[in-house]
Amino acid sequence: MIEERLLAGPDLSRGPESLASHMQRLGPPPSIGPALIDVVERSGLTGRGGAAFPVGAKWRAIARGHAEQPVVVVNGAEGEPQSLKDQVLMTARPHLVLDGAILAARALRTSRIAVVIGESKRAALTSISAALAERPEPELRHARIVMAPTRYVAGESSAVVHLAGSGIALPTTRPPSMHEAGVDGRPTLVQNVESLAHVAQIARFGAGWFGAGTVLITAVGAVSAPGVLEVGSGTSVREVFEAAGGTRDTRAILLGGYFGAWVGAAQAWDLPLDPVALRDRGLTLGCGVVGFLHDAGCGVCETARIMGYLASESSAQCGPCFFGLRALADATSRIGQRGSNTEDLVRLDRWSKEVAGRGACRHPDGAVMLLRSALAVFAEEFANHAPHWRAAPSQPRRIA
Amino acid sequence: MVRASAPLTDQVLWYTTRGAGAVSLVLLTAVVGLGILSSLRFEATGWPRFLTAGLHRNLALVTLIFLGLHIVTAVVDPYTNLGWAAAVIPFSSYYRTFWLGLGTIAAELLAAIGITTLARGYIGPRTWKIVHWLAYAAWPIGVIHGLGTGTDAWSAWFFALTCACIALVGFAVVYRLGVSRDPLADPRAAFRAAVDRRPRP
Repeated sequence: MIEERLLAGPDLSRGPESLASHMQRLGPPPSIGPALIDVVERSGLTGRGGAAFPVGAKWRAIARGHAEQPVVVVNGAEGEPQSLKDQVLMTARPHLVLDGAILAARALRTSRIAVVIGESKRAALTSISAALAERPEPELRHARIVMAPTRYVAGESSAVVHLAGSGIALPTTRPPSMHEAGVDGRPTLVQNVESLAHVAQIARFGAGWFGAGTVLITAVGAVSAPGVLEVGSGTSVREVFEAAGGTRDTRAILLGGYFGAWVGAAQAWDLPLDPVALRDRGLTLGCGVVGFLHDAGCGVCETARIMGYLASESSAQCGPCFFGLRALADATSRIGQRGSNTEDLVRLDRWSKEVAGRGACRHPDGAVMLLRSALAVFAEEFANHAPHWRAAPSQPRRIA
Repeated sequence: MVRASAPLTDQVLWYTTRGAGAVSLVLLTAVVGLGILSSLRFEATGWPRFLTAGLHRNLALVTLIFLGLHIVTAVVDPYTNLGWAAAVIPFSSYYRTFWLGLGTIAAELLAAIGITTLARGYIGPRTWKIVHWLAYAAWPIGVIHGLGTGTDAWSAWFFALTCACIALVGFAVVYRLGVSRDPLADPRAAFRAAVDRRPRP
């Protein structure tokens, strides 16, 4: 259920919490240094940018044996168009995020911090800039703010490293792994702002206190109060639906945003919103977006819209992504607009298998996972779709 | 016993060496041709792009098997008595030192391409690609090796086969040079410009 830890404190509508209020509520971040890595590892905290990678293990890989000072990149790019949780957190609780950044920097014995913020998120940008100026720590006062373009792939960690290093937000191929050579060739930690805010609390209250932890969820779609909720990890989809003012006529849920998967409502209601539990079920919490599709909505058209968006967001680095996603999006929208036809259904099945795993980065894999979940959940609609176009208004911006 | 069967064994090994060499030439030619096709992102109705890549990879593995057969049978053949060193160290063979050495070099270049492909996840696509360019050296060196030392080199059938292989790869290379335009170049440049946040001078 609703459990406010990161969002505890003054009402969110009152804007950024001041340093004075933050210090009064929580006190200064403890001076733990590298011992924090153990604590974070024991807490079991996983990254909240989407990949749910264990935070402690990531830090340990960077702390191990490099002569050069690492770089800590605070990732608030939030490329997922439906996600709001990073900007809400940065806007309302900037000092919690910055505590996490300074704790990470000191655990990795570095003074280099860069904060990456999506350039369209003006409130977050203002809040973080003001908060940095308030901080007494020299590492934070000298921290760089980097503005990320509003593109889907711009929040992906290699794109964030590329942006902070050379000024171009393009995903890059690996190796070299960013743990070894990231920003300016230095070992680099890229950590989502929510993960760092959790670190700020784990450092104060301990790994045992963290327990299962909480997750920030962005509830969107057929609910009367869409927005960001903080819930205990393992809270069911139904509880989030009710807390966001949902009614009963929802037929499917998009779990994990555009890199997630559709789940039929009947199967979804009791799913636990927990990064690890969902991964074990072959699903993903991703960046925490939970989208509710209304009974009157069309799964085929909605999927076609999202596929069109993801195709237009390909960075054109490789053929499987640029041509493959465009072909998949076109076939899906043909079914949406002109009705079901066998050729396109066969193509979707075959192409989606061929594209998976062939991209230079994971962008095509995420899009294909979404499409294949739609083909399973909306199997009947894909097979018997009448020509119509019924999708939510879209925000994609095409480049070519 | 040994004496009586030796001539037959010799002949079997010798024929296998020659046959496997010729088959390797044909297969390698097909692999190089398919590699060039996939670098051009070739596709047509009835020939989807993944077919090029899949054939390229599978035929490359078959090529390495025949090449292995070619080398092993040549070395173990008691008649030639080449020794394993000749298979590894170029120009170390007493027998047709130069022409055989070319074969050793070609085989090692191909082995490097195979190993870097298996290790692509570790070494990264850039290094992989640089090593893969060595195919343009390995193929002609292999062809010259075949013409220089091949027992069948100047027999009509092998000479015709070699000419056909040269014509095929030659055509593919000329074609590649002719249509060097990458279909991704324009969208890639557009995206790059859209996400470029370097300070303007």
